[in-house]
Amino acid sequence: MNGGLRALEERVFDRDLCVSCGACVSLCPYLRSWQGRIVKLDECDLAEGRCFNYCPRGKVDLNELHQRLFGGPYKEIEMGMVRSVLMARACDSVWAGRVQNGGVVSALTDLAIKEGVIDAAVLTDREVNLLPRGHIVSGREDIMACTGSIYTSGPTLEALNRGPWTGDERIGIVGLPCMVLALAKMRTSSLEKRTPIDRVDLVIGLFCTWALDYKPFMGFLQKRFGDRTIGKVDITPPPERIMKITAGDELHDIPLDEIRSFIRPGCHVCPDMTSEFSDISVGTVEGEEGWNTVLVRTERGEELVKRAEAKGVIESQPLPGDKLSHLKEASLLKKRRAIDALKDRGELEDGYLTLSRELIQQIQSESKEAP
Amino acid sequence: MSIIAQDTPGETVLLMGNEAIARGALEAGIKVCAAYPGNPSSEITGSLAGVADEFGLHVEWSVNEKVALEVAAAASFAGLRGLCTMKQNGLNVASDFLLNLNLTGCEGGLVLIVADDPGALSSSNEEDSRAFAKLGDLPLLEPATFQEAKAMTKWAFDLSEDLGLPVLVRTVTRVSHARGNVLLDELPRPTKKPRFDTSRPRIALPVLTNHKLLREKLERAGQVFETSPFNFYRGPEKPELLIITCGSGWMYSLEAVANLDLNERVGILKLGTTWPLPEQMVLNHLSKADHVLFVEEVSPFLENNVKELFAQNCVDLGLKRFSGKATGTLPDIGELNPDIVISTLQDILEVFYEPVSAEYALRAKEISDQLVPERPLGFCAGCPHRATYWAIKNALALDGRDGFVAGDIGCYSLGIGPSGFSQMKTLHAMGSGTGLAGGFGQLNAFGLDQPVIAVSGDSTFYHAVMPALTNASYNKSNLLLLLLDNSATAMTGFQPHPGTGKTASGQDAPILDLEVICKALGAQVEVGDPFDMKATTETILRLLQDVEGVKVLILRRECALVRGRTQKKLFNMEVDQDLCLGERCGCNRLCTRVFKCPGLIWDEIAGRARIDEAICTGCGVCAEICPSLAIRKEVV
Repeated sequence: MNGGLRALEERVFDRDLCVSCGACVSLCPYLRSWQGRIVKLDECDLAEGRCFNYCPRGKVDLNELHQRLFGGPYKEIEMGMVRSVLMARACDSVWAGRVQNGGVVSALTDLAIKEGVIDAAVLTDREVNLLPRGHIVSGREDIMACTGSIYTSGPTLEALNRGPWTGDERIGIVGLPCMVLALAKMRTSSLEKRTPIDRVDLVIGLFCTWALDYKPFMGFLQKRFGDRTIGKVDITPPPERIMKITAGDELHDIPLDEIRSFIRPGCHVCPDMTSEFSDISVGTVEGEEGWNTVLVRTERGEELVKRAEAKGVIESQPLPGDKLSHLKEASLLKKRRAIDALKDRGELEDGYLTLSRELIQQIQSESKEAP
Repeated sequence: MSIIAQDTPGETVLLMGNEAIARGALEAGIKVCAAYPGNPSSEITGSLAGVADEFGLHVEWSVNEKVALEVAAAASFAGLRGLCTMKQNGLNVASDFLLNLNLTGCEGGLVLIVADDPGALSSSNEEDSRAFAKLGDLPLLEPATFQEAKAMTKWAFDLSEDLGLPVLVRTVTRVSHARGNVLLDELPRPTKKPRFDTSRPRIALPVLTNHKLLREKLERAGQVFETSPFNFYRGPEKPELLIITCGSGWMYSLEAVANLDLNERVGILKLGTTWPLPEQMVLNHLSKADHVLFVEEVSPFLENNVKELFAQNCVDLGLKRFSGKATGTLPDIGELNPDIVISTLQDILEVFYEPVSAEYALRAKEISDQLVPERPLGFCAGCPHRATYWAIKNALALDGRDGFVAGDIGCYSLGIGPSGFSQMKTLHAMGSGTGLAGGFGQLNAFGLDQPVIAVSGDSTFYHAVMPALTNASYNKSNLLLLLLDNSATAMTGFQPHPGTGKTASGQDAPILDLEVICKALGAQVEVGDPFDMKATTETILRLLQDVEGVKVLILRRECALVRGRTQKKLFNMEVDQDLCLGERCGCNRLCTRVFKCPGLIWDEIAGRARIDEAICTGCGVCAEICPSLAIRKEVV
C-alpha cells in the first residue's frame, strides 16, 4: 500500500476516481475539500502518505482487509460478513418525517451517545448551499440536523481527521460504503501517524448505489429550479426509480436518466453497496416505506441493536426472504458492474481493486442483470 | 554632500557611470530632469533628485517615460536644458512622442539617456534601443568609459542646441553600474528665465517640410561627428584586422587585444557617435583593412550600418570580410565580455591564449560550485507578494478551472518562479497584464472558462494600467485585477510615486488614492490585507466566481524593506521543535520546501524547521501555513 500524494494524484485524481469521502483531508496542508471536490494545493513528494494509504480508491485488497478485520477470507460475495439481517424502524415519533425511511440510523446513533457507547458521532449535514460536510454531534438536536440525503457525496471523514477532539472521546461514524472502506483502511494502516481511528467504536454504514457530483448536480438544480429552496430529496425504489425533489413548495419528479451523467465516475467502479466493513449497515426495504433493512456484522453492532430493541428504541422483524434475495441480487450486481467498469477502463489488472480471479469469476457467474 | 555636487573642478573622483551622467548634466546646467525609474537607469535621476534643492532643479519621477520626455521637452521648448532618463523598455513607451518631437525639434538642450540591459539582467527583454535613433533620425552617442559618460552627456546638450534636436545617449549596465575615475569640471548655475516662443510653434505639420529639415539636421550631425574626439583609432596603420566598436565593446576589445598581445596586428576604431556614422572617418579606416570585426552590444547596429555604408562605396573599397553578430562570429544574444572577444580573436587570427590552465579552471569551478549556494530569484523575507501569491495559488487551485495570472512588471514579476509558486503565466510590458486579462475576459463569450487574474504594482498602475482598466470597464470585460500596493516602486529602488505622498526630491505631494481612481474608472473595489492569506483566498474566489464585471482588489502592505527601515518587527517568531513535523506525513516541510520564505531554514540534522533570526522580518505570515501550529508568533 505504498504511495503518497503523487500516487493519489496519478491513480485517483487523474483517473477521476475520487469519491470525495474526505479520508485524505485535514491530515496535511496539501489537500483541501472545496465544493464537493478534493483539491491538491501543492506538491508533496513523500513516497508514502496517509492520503493514498487511506484512500478507498487507492489500493484495496478486499481479501486482506477482510482477513484483518473479520479474521477470515473474503467469501461472502453478496453482502460481505453478516451476523444477522432484520427489518427495523425507529419507535420514537421524533424521527418521523425527518428521516429517510425507518430512522434506524438516527435512533441507533442517538442511543449509542445516550448510553455512553460513544461520546460523539461524525455524521453528514448540509451547508446552506446543500454542500455536504462532516459534522461532529453529541446530542439529539445535532443528529436531527444531519438526517436525510441529497445523494451527493461529501467529505464526511474530514471531520474525523480535523476534530476538534479532546483526545479521549469514543467516536461513532455514519458513512457511505466508500467512507466505511476508508475507515477500514485507516484501521489496518501500518503508517506511524494515526487519525483518531483507534477511538472509533461504532461504524454505521449506509447502503449506496452511487452518489452525485456536487457541483454539476447543483448546476443542474439551479438551471431547473433557479433560486427556489431545495428541500427533501428521495429516490423511489426500483422499478420506478425517480428522484422526487422538493423545490420551493412543490414536489418535482426527475427521471434518473436526466441525472445519471452527474454520478461520480468513482462510484461506477465501487463493488460495495452495503458498506461491508461496518458494524451495522442500514438501507431501505424494497417496497416497504418507513422501514429499514439492517445488516448486523460485528459483535458490537449486534450488542447495540439488541440494546436498542430491548430499550424500545427500534422495533424489528425478520426481513422477508424475497426481499433479502433481491437485496443480495442488487448487491452482487453492483459488484458485477464494478468489475465490468474496471474492465472497460482497462483497470481490472492494475486498478485500485485487488480481487482474486476466482472471486471475479464467482461474481460474474452468480450475478444477474436487473429485470 | 552628494559626490555629484562636489564643486572641485580639476579633481578626479570615483563615480558610478550613472552618477557620471548625472554630473555631466549638472555641468551642462540642466534645470529640469524627468524620468520613470528602471534598471539600469534609475541612479541618474535618483542622484539628481538628491541635489535638486541645492541646484534649484526640478527633478521628478514621472508616471511613465512618455510623460517624462514631455516634461523634459517642455523645459527645452522654453529655452532651458532638460534631461530625461529611462531604461530600454521605457523608450518604447516614450517613442510615440519622440517620433513627433524629432519633427518639431527643440530649443534648450534636450538629452534623452537610455540605459540598455544587455543580457536582460533586470529586464523583460534585452532590446537594443539604438534602433530608435535610426528610426527617428536622431543623433546617438554611446559612452565607453565613465569619463565619457560625463563628458558626452555634457556635450550632448551643446549638440542638441546646435542642431535643434533631442540627442540620444545610450549606455549599458556595465557602463551605468560600474565605477571609474571621472575628472570634474565647473558647475554652472544658469539663471535663464524660461519662455516659450509663440512665434515658433512646435508642431510637426507640415510633416514633409519638417521631415526634410530633420534630414538636413541629421546630415549636419554626421559632419559634426567627423571630428568628434569621442571617435578615435588605436593600432597599426594597416591592421590585419580592424575592430569597429562602441560603448562597452571598446573596453572588452582593448582588454582582448592587450591580453593576446595583438597590438601590432589589430587596430581598434572606437566610435562614440554611432548614429549618424562619421562616414568619411569610417570609410578611411575601412580602406586600410581587409577584415573587419564588430564588437558591440546587443544587436548588430553598428555592424549593419557600416555594411550599408560599405555597400554604397564598395566599388572604391574592393572586397572586405566582415565578422560580427550578423555573421554568427559573435553571439547575437546576451552580454559580451572580454573572454568572448578573446576567443573570437583567437579563432580569427589563429593565436593561442590560455589565461589559466584547463585543470585549474575546472578545479576552480568545482570549488565555487560547492561554496556558492544556488539562489533562485525570490521575494525577500516578509515580502507581501509571497503571501499574495500563496492566496492566489490556493484560490486558483480551489477554483479548479485551470486559472492563471496575467503578470506585469515589478518585483511581483517573480510570480513566474517558485517564489510566487509559478502562478504568473504571461509577462510583457508595463500594464500588459491588465490589458491581456481584459482581453481574456472578452473570450468568456466564446467559451473560455479559465479564470484570469491580472496583477499590478502600485507604481505600474499609474504608469500604464489605468488605460487598460478603463478599457476593461468601457468594453464591459470580466476582469479581476489585484493591485499589490506596497507603497513603493520597490524593484528599482523605492522611488516615490503618485500614491506615496512624496515627490522625487522629498517634498510632500497629494496622494492619488488608488481606491478612488479605480472606482472612478468603473471598477468594483475591495481592499484587503495580503498577510491575511485565508481571507484573501476567499475574497479572490468570491470575486472570481460570484461577481461579474471589472473588479479591483487592492492588497495593501508596505514593502518589507521599506517597513524594515522605519518600523520594528511585528512579531518574534519561533518554531516549536517538539511540534514541528519536519519531513513527516502531515507536513513534509511545507514552510521551507514550498512557502520558502528566506527567514525559515531547514535544519537537516534536527529534521526540523527553524527561524533565521537575522533574516526574519517578523511578519508572522508563516504561522498561518504551519499545519501543526509549530510556528508561533509573539507580539513584540
